Amino acid sequence: MIEANVHSVMTVNGEARDVLAPATATLLDVLRDSLCLTGTKRGCNHGVCGACTVLLDGRTARSCLTLAADVGERPVTTIEGIAGDADFSPIQRTLIATGAIQCGFCTPGFVMALTDLFARDPHPDRAAIRMALSGNLCRCSGYVKIVEAAERLAGAVDD
Amino acid sequence: MEYIAPRTLDEAYRALEADEARCLAGGQSLVAMMNLGLVAPSRLVSLRRIDALRGIAVQPDGGVRIGAMTTHAEIASLASSAAGPALLAKAARVVAYPAVRAWGTIGGSVAHADPSADYPVALVAADAMIEIGSTSGTRLVAAQDFFRGFFETALARAEIVTAVHVPAGPEGAGAAYAKLSLVVGDFAIVSVAAIASGKAQLAVGGYGPKPIRLTGVDVADSALLAAGQALAAATDPPGDHRASAAYRRRVVPELIRRAARAASTGPPA
Repeated sequence: MIEANVHSVMTVNGEARDVLAPATATLLDVLRDSLCLTGTKRGCNHGVCGACTVLLDGRTARSCLTLAADVGERPVTTIEGIAGDADFSPIQRTLIATGAIQCGFCTPGFVMALTDLFARDPHPDRAAIRMALSGNLCRCSGYVKIVEAAERLAGAVDD
Repeated sequence: MEYIAPRTLDEAYRALEADEARCLAGGQSLVAMMNLGLVAPSRLVSLRRIDALRGIAVQPDGGVRIGAMTTHAEIASLASSAAGPALLAKAARVVAYPAVRAWGTIGGSVAHADPSADYPVALVAADAMIEIGSTSGTRLVAAQDFFRGFFETALARAEIVTAVHVPAGPEGAGAAYAKLSLVVGDFAIVSVAAIASGKAQLAVGGYGPKPIRLTGVDVADSALLAAGQALAAATDPPGDHRASAAYRRRVVPELIRRAARAASTGPPA
């Protein structure tokens, strides 16, 4: 059955975007397929892997578990909008400097999870970092470097 | 599929009378099931804009009424010295991951009734009541009767879980939630929710189609292990991709002991 498209207006990375998508479309579908924001990755598509993590109203959300039609007035931030006008955010720069990126597929999700964490707590300890990252899978198993990067940023480890 | 986001419960009840209409709460289970092709609603009635479903109201006796659209993160941050609400907060802290806890709701989890989920077992242990609304008014059903089986509840067509009522629990009692899972954030292999002072009231989750309730158990290690062994001998737990039935029987006595012992140390100072 072909689903009829529904029109909505969504605020993504600070811009109002017109969206035409079926009511069954997820935020992930719309970001990647309608808005061509392909930095947000489709991994498992049922909420387990964290590759599709975005910020919804400032909190981490699985874009694959968020219906686009239900986003409404809540602003969405994706990896493309995380650094504002700069090339990279401090979190991204630290991940690069620490060698915390391998294949890179999971990286946008990890960046979003860390962005939410550091917005709430600029100096998280290792337990808080591990908790914040507990919903993000890295198939390269590069967790040690990712946690090290977050600790470096938190000032928990000296350079 | 049609999407509707009413602002009042009355509009939501009427919208749910359509065939194959379903409520959308936080979407953390329903949208996953839609993506996997397990459900295909004709109409989604989003509860997101209904203010009456939000908020935690603390009662004079320390019990709480938790609106259905309250998120796991909000319940996790509930600070209560009363055993019932404290038990719910402990369960909420180990539901999935931060991104799911930010958006998933207690009403959604309760209506979904996954037998391995964290709230059903905590609500049964706490003697909670589930508040159900419809065009004919509101009714309260004990959690133990609300959960009927594997993803099966006492909800009838066009009814909505509007809140849960969690009693304070016995004075001076403590609460604990012991969850065994393969990795942090996964559903439980087996979990045990306990409220205890001199005696323990417990519920066991992940161990059958609905939570199993045990009451009046002495909190001595030997009595707790014996209660767990008796349960293991008398029940037929499921075997699935997480663990075999034999493994569940093997671990349930120790989980019962841990939860009840932790609960019996009393409320947080």
